[in-house]
Amino acid sequence: MSRRVTIPRIPHAFFKWYCKSERYEEIHGDLEEFFYERVEVVGLAKARLFYLWNVIRCFQPYAWKIPQSQNSNIVMFRNYFKTSYRSMIKNPLSSFINVFGLAVAVGVCMVTYSFMDFDYSTDRFHEFKDEVYLTTFYVDRDGTEEQYGKTPAPLGEMLRQDFSSIKKVTRVHDGNAVMKHGDNVFHESVRYVDPAFLEMFTFPLKWGASSSLADPNSIILSAATSVKYFGSEDPIGKDIKAIFNDTEVKTFKVAGVAEEFPKAHIIGFDFLVNFDNLLISNSSFDLTDWKALVNATFIQVEDAGNLKVIAEGMEKYRKLQNEVEQDWAITAFNFVTVNDLHLGSAEIREDISYDGSREGRVGLPFIAAFILALACFNYINIAIVSSTKRLKEIGLRKVIGANKRLVIVQFLAENLFVTFLAGILGFFLAATVFLPWFDQFAGIGSEFNLLDSNMWIFLVSVLVFTGLVSGIYPAFYISKFEVVKIFKGTVKFGTKNTLTKVFLSVQLMLACVGITFAVMFAQNSAYQAKRDWGYKQKETLYVNVSDRSVYEQMKMAVEQNPDVTSLAGSSHHLGKASATTIVHLPDRQYEVRELGVSSSYFETMGIELENGRFFEENRESDRRSIVVNQLFVENLALTEPIGAQVKIDSIPYDIIGVSKNFHFNNFYYENLPTIFTVAEQENYRYLTMQVRSGAEQSMYESIQTQWSKLFPETPFQGGYQEDVWVGFYEDLGIMKKFTRAIAIVFVLLASLGLYGLVKLNISGRIREFSIRKTLGANVKNLAKNILSQYVLLSIAAVVFGAPLGHIMITAMIDMMFPDPRPFGFTGAAISAVILVFVLVLVISTQIMKVSKANPVEGLKVE
Amino acid sequence: MGRTYLGEFEEIVLLTVGILYEDAYAVAITKEITKQSERSVNVSAVHKSLYRLEKKGMLKSKLSDPESKRGGKRKRLFTITPFGKTALDDSMDLRMKMRKQIPELAFKLQIV
Repeated sequence: MSRRVTIPRIPHAFFKWYCKSERYEEIHGDLEEFFYERVEVVGLAKARLFYLWNVIRCFQPYAWKIPQSQNSNIVMFRNYFKTSYRSMIKNPLSSFINVFGLAVAVGVCMVTYSFMDFDYSTDRFHEFKDEVYLTTFYVDRDGTEEQYGKTPAPLGEMLRQDFSSIKKVTRVHDGNAVMKHGDNVFHESVRYVDPAFLEMFTFPLKWGASSSLADPNSIILSAATSVKYFGSEDPIGKDIKAIFNDTEVKTFKVAGVAEEFPKAHIIGFDFLVNFDNLLISNSSFDLTDWKALVNATFIQVEDAGNLKVIAEGMEKYRKLQNEVEQDWAITAFNFVTVNDLHLGSAEIREDISYDGSREGRVGLPFIAAFILALACFNYINIAIVSSTKRLKEIGLRKVIGANKRLVIVQFLAENLFVTFLAGILGFFLAATVFLPWFDQFAGIGSEFNLLDSNMWIFLVSVLVFTGLVSGIYPAFYISKFEVVKIFKGTVKFGTKNTLTKVFLSVQLMLACVGITFAVMFAQNSAYQAKRDWGYKQKETLYVNVSDRSVYEQMKMAVEQNPDVTSLAGSSHHLGKASATTIVHLPDRQYEVRELGVSSSYFETMGIELENGRFFEENRESDRRSIVVNQLFVENLALTEPIGAQVKIDSIPYDIIGVSKNFHFNNFYYENLPTIFTVAEQENYRYLTMQVRSGAEQSMYESIQTQWSKLFPETPFQGGYQEDVWVGFYEDLGIMKKFTRAIAIVFVLLASLGLYGLVKLNISGRIREFSIRKTLGANVKNLAKNILSQYVLLSIAAVVFGAPLGHIMITAMIDMMFPDPRPFGFTGAAISAVILVFVLVLVISTQIMKVSKANPVEGLKVE
Repeated sequence: MGRTYLGEFEEIVLLTVGILYEDAYAVAITKEITKQSERSVNVSAVHKSLYRLEKKGMLKSKLSDPESKRGGKRKRLFTITPFGKTALDDSMDLRMKMRKQIPELAFKLQIV
């Protein structure tokens, strides 16, 4: 036995820790004796296990250290703990309100944390996230520098050759294809990348090897696509057929399957193939053309200091590019790490990442902070009022020798106790109710990772912060009472205190803002849901066609159908596809959206004419004409739009008509200046038809049947025009539900707090009310007396809260919607009414109780 | 001595201390009990009983000289006190007395 026989270190340390010193020698001696003996008999490994077992077995009271003489502080805190516990049990209602209110607030904070954590960890699981950069470029757009996430096609290859400091380069481009394996045929998006892609983006593979990307005949699938086509079995080595543009067919061998992507990802893939395949799918794509753009080019640079050198070296590319492309003349290049890409992508146009959670990042912390503040104020108010019941205790403590500091410490400790209780409940609420509920909306599949130490740090700091903030004023307030006054019974209370009044009105104000938030969001959602799209989306159907012959065949098939009232071909389509074009005017150049359409497109889609005329069929001169939308005219301040001339690609075009504005994208997006051009028949990619109202569904089914007859090999693509804003209305519905829930939480917290407060206040004055009643006061007198306390406060709260809420929420909604509902003050007014209603309800229940109570009960002295 | 209560395992430990005399310490006691009763005993259980019996005054103890086989540590040697002996005898007597009172018939009936 070469290994030295030693006592296992960790169990030994544990033993030393728990065993009292006077018994250590004898007991450990016994254990050692056993250990050495067992080493001889059963070997070291087993002996070590036996030893560990013995150490655990000996962990018993006879061996334990007895804590050194009891610290007086510990005794004190134990006593505080006991009193807190007792006073909580004694006032179950106010304790419940405190704990529950704080728990809800903590729960909301935890959900917020989880959302923010998810958002901030998006795409940050890649090992080289700080070394891999997306190359972006700036283009001057009508005076402002805009950053774009795409890259000129030749750049990637040149970067690789020209810079030794660039370790790896990958170009990324996406394209559509029909993928086929057996009976599984679907339209899919294929990602073309260089072999280095999987080394730069460290997606682990479940099966296969990432090096297979170097082979142009290999394909790598995501976990989800693998299941979609091959079920749960290992598909490595199997064939999958890709059909590009309905004509080019290539068979790939599955060479890898990625592990399930982390939930917090944006950059991912369904199918990954070697970049060279791009030329098969799109033979016209010229990789040496500086006009052509690929979706992204990533470089990996170890030392960020080299970036500057690279940027300087890229000056020559800029010149090359500027020579051939004046409309997109690059002014500078930039690099953005994968780490920053998701959060920064609002600033980068057309990049492969996106940032869809900006409103969440702003809104959720706002909501959480408000709810937390509300719960704190609830606590402060209730703590101050309920201290009436504990005056004698405080007096006694002071008599026995507690000074002010000790009383403060006691109440803070008590408050921390309450907060931690709330924390436990809140975490539980968050994990079981809030988060699953929230996740229905966010759909991010987030859940608490119990091993996330940051989350625990966050939770504990929220609790400590809340505990101290909400406890500090009551503690100081209570500690100030003078003993003599307490016992004389002349301590002045609650309502006479200005600060208490301020707290109460702040509490009501917060509630008012919260309710305003919900009401205004609900109003806006309702408004957005009813808005006009600017064209007839309801009776319109569209079909994707891959080329002219498909278009012609499909057109023939549906033309005869009496339900079709109008029919059009187009190369772009509202809500689906468009191009970005630069329009040159004598004094400026202007970026617009371009839609290539046929003459009947306007009628079919129901786009309305404002001025001039639309295209006419077979009119040759229309090929050099454009129709623009109102926004275009407004933005360029054209006084005489009809007949004005603009240049596109140095070819002059006449403006022949102005259409009314319409919404290409859903209402989250700003309307863009748009031009229509006449599309060549060869370029038709969409067949759009307007059908007789009520015949939409039968028509849709009929098109599908026709399609499968004509093109059994290709899956059908198309649908109702109404459905092109995928998820927008769903989103609005979600927002409605979400804000309603938030409103309920606010109202609940506010009314709970108020209820507790009023109840405590009234029970403190029960003797007074009883005397009033015996002297003949009726309900009206009592109500007046009680209400007078709260009327002014409520008015103040509503007067300040409603406008404040209005301003804040308008700003928030403005951020989310480019043209929000024109807000009057109805939202604020409604929230004020709701709040006042709740106030009256709460107070009147208490008044009823007082008026029904027997005055004798109130006057009895124990 | 009605108030002295001796548990079954304690009694065995007490007996073993007596048997081993002069060399009664936890490890030896554990081994002896295992040998005699053929049941597996953990040293921790023995410790517990020993300290308890000492507290009750039925055992007394002293530390031995350090020994290398136990990492140079001393061991605690136990001996029975007169009170321990009385408790043991009382317990034995009680059992014998009660055992004798069982009529032979009771066993016979059980056999059938």
